[in-house]
Amino acid sequence: MEDTNFVMLWKEHYEKIDQSLAINKKIIRDLTNQKAEAVMQLLIRHKKRGIIAVIFYLLILGALLFFSTTDYKSEKNYFIFSIAAIFIVNVKALYDYIKHLAWAKKINYNGNVTDIQQQLTKLQFSIINHAKIMCLQFPFFTTFYLSNKWFPQEVGMGYIIFQLILTGSFTYLSYWLFKNHTIENLNKKWFRNMIAGSGGKSVVKAMDFYKELEEFKHH
Amino acid sequence: MANKENRDIFLSVIESNKGIIYKIANSYCASKEDRNDLVQEIILRLWQAFEQYNDDYKYSTWIYRIALNTAISNYRKEKVREKYFSPIFEPLLELEDVGGTTELEQTYSQLHQFILELKELDKALMLLYLEEKSYKEIAEIIGISESNVGTKISRLKNTLKEKFLKEKYK
Repeated sequence: MEDTNFVMLWKEHYEKIDQSLAINKKIIRDLTNQKAEAVMQLLIRHKKRGIIAVIFYLLILGALLFFSTTDYKSEKNYFIFSIAAIFIVNVKALYDYIKHLAWAKKINYNGNVTDIQQQLTKLQFSIINHAKIMCLQFPFFTTFYLSNKWFPQEVGMGYIIFQLILTGSFTYLSYWLFKNHTIENLNKKWFRNMIAGSGGKSVVKAMDFYKELEEFKHH
Repeated sequence: MANKENRDIFLSVIESNKGIIYKIANSYCASKEDRNDLVQEIILRLWQAFEQYNDDYKYSTWIYRIALNTAISNYRKEKVREKYFSPIFEPLLELEDVGGTTELEQTYSQLHQFILELKELDKALMLLYLEEKSYKEIAEIIGISESNVGTKISRLKNTLKEKFLKEKYK
């Protein structure tokens, strides 16, 4: 088939469609009137829920810190230090998340396709890059329950070894995840599976799309 | 009042360019449900961007940009949009039955299938080519050089011809 025929075929098909295509003015009026706001509110609510959950979590951690420091006893050192570390990591994660939401809001779809798609995929990558900070709190979940009052002096060698292995392996795991949680590793099958398994299929798609975009721009 | 006036202008812009929105949604979605969702998302994005519309560009160029950006990023999203867009059940663009049994329609459905199989950016390029946009305008919408547009379109046309030939001699 000749080039012109493809264009003609397209034209003829859509000329027919154009004649029978009608816009639903009432629904569009509603959409631009209240529903645009309502739909946006639904989208925002989804993100807000996440923020509220983290804030609630931070409030609990903050309250625990407050009460344990106002009534300070040295036996609470492990607890205070662990909760403070978890608190700091979550504050940083929340700050990054809000920063990304503000960035996303600034992206104007009116720009040319390759620029906007590049900005959108970079935003997704940046979210992944910042999310890795959450891994750093893992070791502290294995230390907050310890107390100077009984650890290590009142426990047997078996428990000390168990505790060392537990905290050591969580520290290694968190270091390993933090180090390997990179965009470069998105190429590796195990990382793609891990990300996809935790609901990040869109990020895997974004990576494939980013490659496609780079290729598209330069070849 | 100003808002009402704005809404009326917006409606007339959508009315005159409804074909663009429909063609883009049809080229990026295989099912009717997905197409309706995408049309809704595109119109919503257009409305949100309407106040910042810059008249350096034609309305059609502005619509192509926003609609293509919405369609392409929609593909990367996981299927969660049903949750957000469920408040509206009726389609925003309604199409009466246009029939589809003629030879022309059958050939068109082959072309449509080919477009659906293309990568997201190639799809945008093919669509603009079939819409008879100039290389300059395509370059402006997509954001690559005119010569790059030319090379890519000729590559796409060759693949398309090969596909049609294969179908013919099957």
